[in-house]
Amino acid sequence: MNHLRDQYGKEIEDVLARYPETQKRAAVMPLLYIAQREDGYVSTQDMDDIAELLAISTTDVASIVGFYTLYHDEQAGRYRIQVCNDLPCALRGADDFLDGLCDHLGVKPGETTPDGVVTVEAVMCLAACDKAPMFQVQSYDGIAYHEVQTVKSAVKLVDGWRKEKASG
Amino acid sequence: MTEKIAVAVAENLINLTIDNREVSVPAGTLVVNAAKLAGIDIPVFCYHPKMEPVGMCRMCLVEIGRPAIDRASGKPLLNKDGSPQINFGPKLETGCTVPVSKGMVVRGYTEEVTEARKEVIEFLLTSHPLDCPICDKGGECPLQNLTMEHGPGQSRFIFDEKIDLAKNVPLGDLIFLDRERCIQCARCTRFQDEIVDDPVIGFSQRGRALEIITFSDPGFDSYWSGNTTDICPVGALTTTDFRFEARPWELQSHASICNHCSVGCNTTLNTRREAKSGGDEVIKRVMPRQNEQVNEIWICDKGRFAHHYTESPDRLTQPLIRKGDALEPATWDEALQLVGDKFKKSKGKFAALAGGRLTNEDFFNIQQVTAKLGGKALLDSQMAGGEMVAQVGVGQGTNLSDLRAGDVVLVIASDLEEEAPLHWLRIKQAAERGAQLIVANPRRTKLDQVAHRLIRYEYGQEAAVVHAMLDSFSPKRPDQPASVKQLLRDESVKAAAEDVQSATNLIVFYGSEGLDVAGSHTLASACANLLIATGHVGRSNNGLVAVWDKGNAQGAWDAGFATSVNLADDLAAAPNLYIVGADPVGDRPDLAETFEAAEFVVVQELFLTKTAQMADVVLPVLPYTEREGTYTNAERRVQRFYPAISPRPGARADFAIAAQIGLALGLELESKLASLAFEQLAARLPAYKDLTYGKLAETFEQWPIIGREDLYYGGTTYDNTQGLGVQPPSGAERGESPALSFEALTDPEKRKGLLAVPVTRLYDLGLTVTTSEILATHWEQPHIVLSPADAEKLGLELGAQATIKLNNMQSPVAARIDNRVPKGVVLVPRSVGLHIFGPAPIEVGA
Ligand code: SF4
Ligand code: SF4
Ligand code: FES
Ligand code: FES
Repeated sequence: MNHLRDQYGKEIEDVLARYPETQKRAAVMPLLYIAQREDGYVSTQDMDDIAELLAISTTDVASIVGFYTLYHDEQAGRYRIQVCNDLPCALRGADDFLDGLCDHLGVKPGETTPDGVVTVEAVMCLAACDKAPMFQVQSYDGIAYHEVQTVKSAVKLVDGWRKEKASG
Repeated sequence: MTEKIAVAVAENLINLTIDNREVSVPAGTLVVNAAKLAGIDIPVFCYHPKMEPVGMCRMCLVEIGRPAIDRASGKPLLNKDGSPQINFGPKLETGCTVPVSKGMVVRGYTEEVTEARKEVIEFLLTSHPLDCPICDKGGECPLQNLTMEHGPGQSRFIFDEKIDLAKNVPLGDLIFLDRERCIQCARCTRFQDEIVDDPVIGFSQRGRALEIITFSDPGFDSYWSGNTTDICPVGALTTTDFRFEARPWELQSHASICNHCSVGCNTTLNTRREAKSGGDEVIKRVMPRQNEQVNEIWICDKGRFAHHYTESPDRLTQPLIRKGDALEPATWDEALQLVGDKFKKSKGKFAALAGGRLTNEDFFNIQQVTAKLGGKALLDSQMAGGEMVAQVGVGQGTNLSDLRAGDVVLVIASDLEEEAPLHWLRIKQAAERGAQLIVANPRRTKLDQVAHRLIRYEYGQEAAVVHAMLDSFSPKRPDQPASVKQLLRDESVKAAAEDVQSATNLIVFYGSEGLDVAGSHTLASACANLLIATGHVGRSNNGLVAVWDKGNAQGAWDAGFATSVNLADDLAAAPNLYIVGADPVGDRPDLAETFEAAEFVVVQELFLTKTAQMADVVLPVLPYTEREGTYTNAERRVQRFYPAISPRPGARADFAIAAQIGLALGLELESKLASLAFEQLAARLPAYKDLTYGKLAETFEQWPIIGREDLYYGGTTYDNTQGLGVQPPSGAERGESPALSFEALTDPEKRKGLLAVPVTRLYDLGLTVTTSEILATHWEQPHIVLSPADAEKLGLELGAQATIKLNNMQSPVAARIDNRVPKGVVLVPRSVGLHIFGPAPIEVGA
């Protein structure tokens, strides 16, 4: 039983075809994308599936998930708001911004709103220091930058998503 | 690949200066190793001499200077005094990643280097718990030692900023991880990946959050896990067996030899006197002992953890004599008297059956007794061919680590990692160094991953494969059966035959996968003929190796024992039986009748086995840990082990008991000193001529240097100070001409139903394994393995309970499904209580 193969057989074949027979393990990155796309994280079952597809150990797959900050091994909100509060951003008020956003959502950094829509995380430099306060949003299908933010602008964005979810 | 330095290699030497000392080492040598060879210490953490350098910890920083060259002329620039001008780089370099070069100058004592070491230690300790007083590694810990030697003594980091991490993380049943102590050197993960190809532990996260993880099931599921605790330079990894059991400095060390399989790994038994054992010495742990020709610096987990049987409270300590239905305690005098009297009268109707864990001294004395009585000396084993190994086994000076490009290794009918883990490891390494590896087996095994050529045959065609190889380059024998002719057309067989013919050196390993004793004999003789026909006998790194089921099976053959092709008949024909270190009734219940009918049965044993329960006299023996002796491994290396703890009162050594029985028969056999018994043996057996205990105890300098004061370098594997053993000349080397006949082959019978074939598992349900509770989750329960097609036909799901009927016995088993198993075949593990002695028809029901 390989859930990933059953679900994305064709797509996975295409990915695997890009790598030489002896170097299938290199396909671990694109396969992790595929796995994470489904519900925003890579489950242990996904890791087992990928390990089987590439004939490597599940531990190897888990190491890669652990190493890269944009792969996750736990379910979180539909949108992960990753606010940079490294020093340069902090100098432009990122800490206050983060506090304000968290207050509005009623969560602490690292937590998810009860409706499962938003997770707020504090992260290291995202290379947009001059446009702080800033954050990136990682959703199931991609990443977007939001720069020169205020709590107000962020709240608007976030509330939009939550309303969308509430109205189904 | 492991960087190997043959100290003796004189070609391509590079001269350099390390700490003002002139050093001359082979090109390619890394600076840390060059220093080590010269007796100079450059501290390391992540570097390990058996693994590729990674330069992760920075502990080995040194100043490295190179001769300045005049760009225009290409000539070295000289100082005013005529000495070469040396350019030192602006930064320190890692000695573990830099190979030596001509004229290099290395300085490991300057202020800058001292300062750097201090800082690296300070960094490594930023969040280290410094709980040495309760750490198992304390006392033999590289981090502790190097901190004392190079550390700053005080940290500038703020105590409250130390991060707390989990301290008792079971990575599996055998290994515990203390996350706080880990210094992230990756020795453990690299060992699992690079050396044993079992990457079941890995790093997750990065920076300070970096941690060791495992996703295998059961956790840290590898036959090699214990070795990581030896090379971990801190107390982050500890074994369940030894954790919180003793402090290293309280331990006594005793040289020993593992007898679980025929590799014969050198071990050190650590012992201590304990109040909880009434002041007696107990074995606290089994550690590897370096022998670069046998096990290098490793042992498998079976060797490390399956030792508890030797100290089991269930052991016998008193002779027993049958009185009616019961076995009743007796004195040694009574028992020996009775045995002597009975045996004396058994002339011509006598047989001895001995197990493969006995020592050479035991076999010799038992064989003498048996010969005197005109009986048969039988070895309790699933394999045959030892007389051929004695003739054409690997020659003197054989070292699997010497095999390289141009050499060929053929492994046939063996799942080598299960049957002889260290052989698997060393052949894998030979293949990685470039030796041509041919693996012939009906199903995929782990060794396939590194093989250059794979031969798939059907169970039953083992010998046919070898005959086909022979036929492809020598005159074909007309009487060959169809299977040989068919295999002759097989491309992989043809190519393998070519490999073998052009091999510089050739070693053939034959195992017991899918074979009974007769099949094993036929295969051995085919392999021996292949070696003889291609001239690969009678010299080092050439010859035949049997993957025996027990540690000293070869010693038994050398002493005149042979495996019986029909054990039931042989035992029935000799109603007086002398069973030593074997449990035939336990292994095959159908033999109970034979024992019922036997006239007089003596069992010499550690435990009251099924066979012992049926005996007339039971004589209690000492395990190898409580006595001295020698074993002969599959590579014909005779190795010596020493007593580790005092003998349990009441029991005696096997050779001594045999000698005492011999007394009644007028034999003068040594009953006190194993060394004298060995002298008698060496005087009688040509293969052991000139060997003495003294010679077996000799050692010579080995590389890498392991296990001395400098634990940081190679880990806690013990230095070999008590003997590397001796590989005596084989029959072929002694000039005996190995006259071997070809055994005529027949095609395997056409069958309708499923065929059961025996396979070997490392952790079976033998008494030596099941007495080590910590291995419990790894014990192989009764199971069968089927191909997906057969499973479907039978309506069996993975893990389903099934019932099998095999050799007249019905047993419940769990069904496993594996696409590596050929259709029509059912794998049945040996020694898990199922009735399998060779290929046999099997019925499987849901
Ligand atoms: S557990 Fe030991 S061997 Fe493994 S990375 Fe940590 S310190 Fe190194
Ligand atoms: S490989 Fe064999 S001899 Fe070596 S430790 Fe393991 S069981 Fe013992
Ligand atoms: S510090 Fe925030 S983006 Fe660089
Ligand atoms: S960097 Fe050289 S030993 Fe770690």
